Amino acid sequence: MKNTFKINTRGLGQYGIFVAFVLICLLLSFITPKFLTVSNWTIIITQVSINALLAFGVTFVIITGGIDLSLGSVVAVTGVVAASMAHPETYPVVVPILVGILAGVSMGALNGLVITKSKVPPFIVTLGMMTIGRGLALILSKGRPISNLSDEFNFIGGGQILGIPLPIIILIIAFVICSIILKKTVLGRYIYAVGGNEQAAKASGIRVNKVKMAVYTLCGGLAALAGILLTSRITTGQPNAGVGFELDAIAAAIIGGTSTSGGTGTMTGTLIGALLIGVISNGLDLLNVTSYYQQVVMGAIIIGAVVLDSWNQSSQK
Amino acid sequence: MRNISLGLLVLVAFLGGCNQSSSEDKSSGDKLTVGVTMLSMQNEFIVNVSDEMEKKAKELGVELITVDAERSALKQIEQVESFIAQKVDVIVMNPCEVEASSPAVTKALAAKIPIINVNSETTATPSAFVGSDDVESGRIAMKYIAEKLGGKGNVLMMHGYMGQAAQIKREQGAREILKQYPNLKLLAHQTAEWDRAKSMALMENWIQSYGKEINAVFAQNDEMGMGAVKALTDAGLKDKVIVVSIDAIPDALQAVKKGTLNATVFQNAQQQGAKAIETAVKIAKGEAYEKSVLIPFQLVTAENVAQFAK
Repeated sequence: MKNTFKINTRGLGQYGIFVAFVLICLLLSFITPKFLTVSNWTIIITQVSINALLAFGVTFVIITGGIDLSLGSVVAVTGVVAASMAHPETYPVVVPILVGILAGVSMGALNGLVITKSKVPPFIVTLGMMTIGRGLALILSKGRPISNLSDEFNFIGGGQILGIPLPIIILIIAFVICSIILKKTVLGRYIYAVGGNEQAAKASGIRVNKVKMAVYTLCGGLAALAGILLTSRITTGQPNAGVGFELDAIAAAIIGGTSTSGGTGTMTGTLIGALLIGVISNGLDLLNVTSYYQQVVMGAIIIGAVVLDSWNQSSQK
Repeated sequence: MRNISLGLLVLVAFLGGCNQSSSEDKSSGDKLTVGVTMLSMQNEFIVNVSDEMEKKAKELGVELITVDAERSALKQIEQVESFIAQKVDVIVMNPCEVEASSPAVTKALAAKIPIINVNSETTATPSAFVGSDDVESGRIAMKYIAEKLGGKGNVLMMHGYMGQAAQIKREQGAREILKQYPNLKLLAHQTAEWDRAKSMALMENWIQSYGKEINAVFAQNDEMGMGAVKALTDAGLKDKVIVVSIDAIPDALQAVKKGTLNATVFQNAQQQGAKAIETAVKIAKGEAYEKSVLIPFQLVTAENVAQFAK
């Protein structure tokens, strides 16, 4: 048994998870006929879109060997900021979107700045930002949800183009762009290099701090996009939105084969990780499994994925 | 390394500063001081209760020290201990947990400081309780569904955080009514953790699962009710499904007005806040007071929503 596992996972960690993903989907389609339908998958992917955007961002960060715990708070700040400018007949819809994204990008850049200038571990800096962000969201909203948003704004998370929900379209575009950045650009190569061996990267002339600034800023921007999507989907800006989102995003990245020790990871893997979480949660709802068990199953899968990843790493050595 | 310790130093100094400002010594001489610890200032309803307390305190000329327990019973107990150390005249607590917040009550009473529970209960008996009986709200909501459906149909129930007092009691009330109507079937029940986004996802999944079988949804708070309404509207099913929730937050009142949410149950934040402070002041001054001030819930539908929406 152990041997076949090793053969399956040799090479890329994401193959193992891809197989697991397909198996779980097959299993669910056997158990319930409601699982494998177009309408159900439209819903799964729409529900997954927010977590996937966050997971793409944090994948960049984790590949450099860092972590970002402030994602959920960035979602809340962005949502509150965007919602406060998205009331009907105030600003055109691009204003809340741009200002919201600016808010997220600034928080991400601030994370990057403190991390590179102070040498304080990213875990601590982004943990601080998590609390600061939550506070900011509460201050800006006075602790109350901001509702009454314009139809144009609500279209982002609730609308469809050619029958495809907009969140799915945004997800696909973000996936393509993030994959290109990681695979085809100089920045992408530097991101892997910094995470693989920071000293070596520095010695070979890569400006490590600039790369780190870039990933945290990018991560903040993607979290902002997720925040806008969420706010638009639930048609309110909520200061307590996004609590714990960072953990789901990190889980998606890790399930998808991104190593917490840095240097490895792919966007495809992360996308599958996010889809897997979404499929399990959807499937367990369809089967009416109580949420207590849902949490146990989810946790077991996360640990299983990391175990798979570590076997894979040791087999490569 | 030096940088880290410097950072920590700044952090500690900062936290120290924060702590001080939240637990100021009582300043003005003979003014009554009331220590207030609230469950969570991230919850709109609780913020409303807190605001009403401030208003009443100003009116009666007493000083409030309000702190936020951030849903942690441990933190709440520490806050009450700090109130005891500051020798406040009376404590008002909006308990985080039924069991875990109980020691706070015991400690305050042992220190001979009266303590009033507002909004929810603890196992330990305080000097007085001001609030509403959550079981009643569950009954009101489910009764509305039963009557609307003529006692027959399929119902879904969305829970709050499992195990919290409000969740347990609202479920209890709803189930009491379900028992009286044997033809009312509970198709499924699941938690959406009081959260709008989670409720929307859950409702979408339920629609996949049960589709046109669904006749009504009871959500244990308005946030989840609003999420269910959104998902049902998107799926084009809202006209066929009754949605009822609890709390009467402004968003929900707007939705009842528009007819998207069929009904909500009004929990009176204004009365809870005001009565809590009134009772606190009475106890502190040694006047006669009621040990249990129960503020009734009210069903809000399209017919009477105007008197609730500001």
